[in-house]
Amino acid sequence: MQIRQKYLSLFLFLLLFQFSFSQQKFTLSGTIADSQNNETLIGVNVTIPELKTGVTTNEYGFYSITVPSGTYTVQISFVGYQTVEQSIALDKNTKLNYKLSGEEEQLQEVVVTDNRKATNIRKAEMSVNKLSIQSIKKMPVVMGEVDVLKSILLLPGVTNAGEGASGFNVRGGGADQNLILLDEANIFNSSHVFGFFSVFNPDAIKDLKLYKGGIPARYGGRASSVLDIYQKDGSSKGFHVNGGIGLVSSRLLAEGPIVKDKGSFLVGGRASYAHLFLKLTDNKNAAYFYDLNAKLSYKLNPNNSLYLSGYFGRDLFSLSEQFENVYGNATLNLRWNHLYSDKLFSNLSLIYSDYYYGLDLDFIGFKWDSGIKNYNIKYDFKNYISDNFKLNYGVNAIYYAFNPGTLKPSNADSGINYDQLERKHAFEPAAYIDAEQNISKKISLYYGLRYSLFYRLGETNSNIYANNEAVVFNPVFQIYEKAKPIASTYYGKNKTIADYNYLEPRAAIAYQFNDNNSIKASYNRMVQYLQLISNTSSPTPLDIWTPSDQFIKPQIANQVALGFFRNFKDSEYSLEAETFYKKIDNRLDYIDGADLIANKALEQILLNGEMRSYGLELMLRKNEGRLNGWISYTLSKSQQRTPGRNANEPGINNGQWYSSVYDKLHNLAATASYKYTEKWSFGANFALQSGQPVTYPNAQYKYQGLTIPNYGQRNENRLPAYHHLDLSATLTPRKNIGRKWQSEWVFSLYNVYNRANAASISFRQNYSNGNNEALRLSIFGVVPGISYNVKF
Amino acid sequence: MNKYILLPLLLIVFASCEKAIGVDLETAAPRLVVDAAINWEKGTDGKEQHIKLSTTTGYFSAIIPTVSGATIVVRNSANTEFPFTDSGNGDYVCTNFEPVIGETYTLTINLNGQTYTASETLIDVPPIDKIEQKTETGFGSEDDRIDVKTFFTDPANTNDFYMTRYQTNINAIPAYGVTDDEFFQGNQVFDLYLNPDIKQGDVIAIRLYGISEQYFNYMSILTSIVGGGGPFATAPATLRGNVRHVGNPNDLVLGYFSLSEIDKRTYIVY
Repeated sequence: MQIRQKYLSLFLFLLLFQFSFSQQKFTLSGTIADSQNNETLIGVNVTIPELKTGVTTNEYGFYSITVPSGTYTVQISFVGYQTVEQSIALDKNTKLNYKLSGEEEQLQEVVVTDNRKATNIRKAEMSVNKLSIQSIKKMPVVMGEVDVLKSILLLPGVTNAGEGASGFNVRGGGADQNLILLDEANIFNSSHVFGFFSVFNPDAIKDLKLYKGGIPARYGGRASSVLDIYQKDGSSKGFHVNGGIGLVSSRLLAEGPIVKDKGSFLVGGRASYAHLFLKLTDNKNAAYFYDLNAKLSYKLNPNNSLYLSGYFGRDLFSLSEQFENVYGNATLNLRWNHLYSDKLFSNLSLIYSDYYYGLDLDFIGFKWDSGIKNYNIKYDFKNYISDNFKLNYGVNAIYYAFNPGTLKPSNADSGINYDQLERKHAFEPAAYIDAEQNISKKISLYYGLRYSLFYRLGETNSNIYANNEAVVFNPVFQIYEKAKPIASTYYGKNKTIADYNYLEPRAAIAYQFNDNNSIKASYNRMVQYLQLISNTSSPTPLDIWTPSDQFIKPQIANQVALGFFRNFKDSEYSLEAETFYKKIDNRLDYIDGADLIANKALEQILLNGEMRSYGLELMLRKNEGRLNGWISYTLSKSQQRTPGRNANEPGINNGQWYSSVYDKLHNLAATASYKYTEKWSFGANFALQSGQPVTYPNAQYKYQGLTIPNYGQRNENRLPAYHHLDLSATLTPRKNIGRKWQSEWVFSLYNVYNRANAASISFRQNYSNGNNEALRLSIFGVVPGISYNVKF
Repeated sequence: MNKYILLPLLLIVFASCEKAIGVDLETAAPRLVVDAAINWEKGTDGKEQHIKLSTTTGYFSAIIPTVSGATIVVRNSANTEFPFTDSGNGDYVCTNFEPVIGETYTLTINLNGQTYTASETLIDVPPIDKIEQKTETGFGSEDDRIDVKTFFTDPANTNDFYMTRYQTNINAIPAYGVTDDEFFQGNQVFDLYLNPDIKQGDVIAIRLYGISEQYFNYMSILTSIVGGGGPFATAPATLRGNVRHVGNPNDLVLGYFSLSEIDKRTYIVY
């Protein structure tokens, strides 16, 4: 093992710069965890000030740094914990694990991010936001319930389609272009019922990171962003319970040791019950969700750890039991951390993920089931070759099984026939390698390559069209129409119908002017093989995921970004300014009147287009003190274009660029939390955004007794500006400090000045008098919330 | 089964949060609208038919301008002419029309030196078997409502398209629905009329139309434009009918020239 390591190192350094034979190097490595519960800590800074070098712990709390032999002061620092300094005489490879203690309760400042000191300036990592779970818990949100997704909406470059909308949009990209991972498992729908809550239980989460650009090579499969969320392992020291009761939902989490200091478990659940209040008003509708997080962790020996985690969530929305929609994610994954040496860390994950959605319309008489199953294996290696060079590489393979829909009659006198839309299968393997290298004290580089492949597999009967065109243009009527297939081909089980492969280069460079200033640039290409078929402005429960095939091409995103980073006043303040340009090829567009529901031949309603977005993001953060928080402002444009396939076709909107539905010119967000006394702390959020794009009519006419609006250019108009102010106050009874049983009351007020933000404006005739009207739909007025949280 | 009922249903949840507001809208240049639906009611001779011509106007305008002075002729495949004469207010009447199932008819309009033309086939329709009503629990906190179901039997070996029209005495405008037989080939099915406001004693005029696939595509888009909106709406489509402006293919003529056999019933809610 030792000899093989040397060969690998030798080979690589022959290709690259610096390698010093002159001085022997040794490795200092280990795991860093919280002393109270043994929870490994992600992103802890391990620095050696004498050498002006350092590393951070990875997602499993492991660090490894290789430096010349000598005596050093190793400094371990992490937000919210006391810094540890230790003098080390490094004359052989040494294993040092650390347990960090939390800062004293009285001095504990609520810190918003943990990019501290030199790390955020130095690393060739940009377009990333890391949020600590403590900061998310202090932000006021809707109905007093803490929410992960609602918090990332306050970051620059992140918006969503509005109240009640699920998902989020990053740098003008679609909600389907975000790779959302929970403990490495793929999550398809990140929102519970209509986007009011996310599927992530904040009590179960350890860390989350949002990559908006400069995405590392180990991630692939979605065009715009990666939201990587890690769950806590569970305390292997003592038994703890965490819970909260709120107006809309409640949650309970229990964690504890299975084998002290070696194995732990974590089980948490949430359920909402707001629909029960509806019953009091004799309203027979119901909308509720529940989710369950569970994890088992076991440290076999210092070089091997096992984790088994699972998630199960369900949402139900029903209108008096006649219309019922159920959907949800379920994941199960097994991970094995193995240290091949103190420089080579590996993680093997075996993941099963299931996304289900179904409809039951009893009064019409049908039942509809659909879903996606996927089986995923990942093997990732992190090779900490030296303090200036780290190599990551790995492989990833996913097998998908889609059920686009099973249609069943729901009762005996329904006229519906049983029907099964053809199942779809696909296989997506990938391999990657990347390097993080410090060329000099001022320049850091990141460069990598991902090679991804995609196979659309049978068993299936595939349509064949004349000229391979599934959509035809009717020049007489100037409209696009579905083409009729001329034949069909049968592909056997697991036979390849279509395949794609792409190289996805990723690169970033950071130039550090001094300890407090740096400039960075990055480029990434991401390829997305699964498409969300949805022609609404935000995802609905009826949207369908479909794999690329011979008609539907993968989306290819190319993004460049340039940024300037500065820390002020000894990192008390930090400023980030970034500008980006993103172009996505093969963005789907829909022919007019596209019928997406139960569509057996999606290729007949889809046209191939492209998308581009560009903008400027600014963020000023106050990291320390009683008052901290940030202000972010994004100025951006997001557009789409679908040109005709030849000179005779107009395309959509005459082949001109038009605003995509995610185009928001201005996006201002501010969040602050203030620790007033030991008992009271306050929080505030303010959001101000340009209104959502909308299409207004420019005429009306009469046809067959109806008055019909005639619409102008797509997405040319804007809804009124969207803004709201939210406040919260947290009361911690004085008795809490130092006690085992801790409790707090959280009072929140969402949309304090009761602004009726327009979720949509519809143009319809009034059913009683037939007059034309413009109807504004708004969902939330002022919403108060109270919750009581306990911890012991 | 009408697939288009699904999304508007979601609106019912949010209906209470809707408010009519004032919006500043532009007005485009007027376009010609051809409202030419030839309907042959079962059991009648179908000789009297109407075609209406009008233009578009501003969205909030109270008056729709009509078009007079046009020459309208419909011809069948044997070139027999059925002229429509201007009876005022944009209404053109024909009294000697000969409807034949499966016959293709061509419409020609001459107006101000311009010619407009369209072509369609007269589609038959199975008779309405029966109409039933069922009291259902209201959505949310609404009272119980009465659902009206119109039953008909779909022929098994053809791909058929249907349209339904409901006009009640309590609503100012009719409600249209379209469906294809993809999921119920050969079965007896019902079309559902869901109106939470109808009560005992209300009168509903029900029509079942047999329509062509092209008209089905047109009316699918039209019903989603008039019935939709809300947070789950799709971007409104440009509604293109089958009437073309000869020599000027880029000119958009609104409306449609359709021919259907229809079955009519008047239903009184008990």
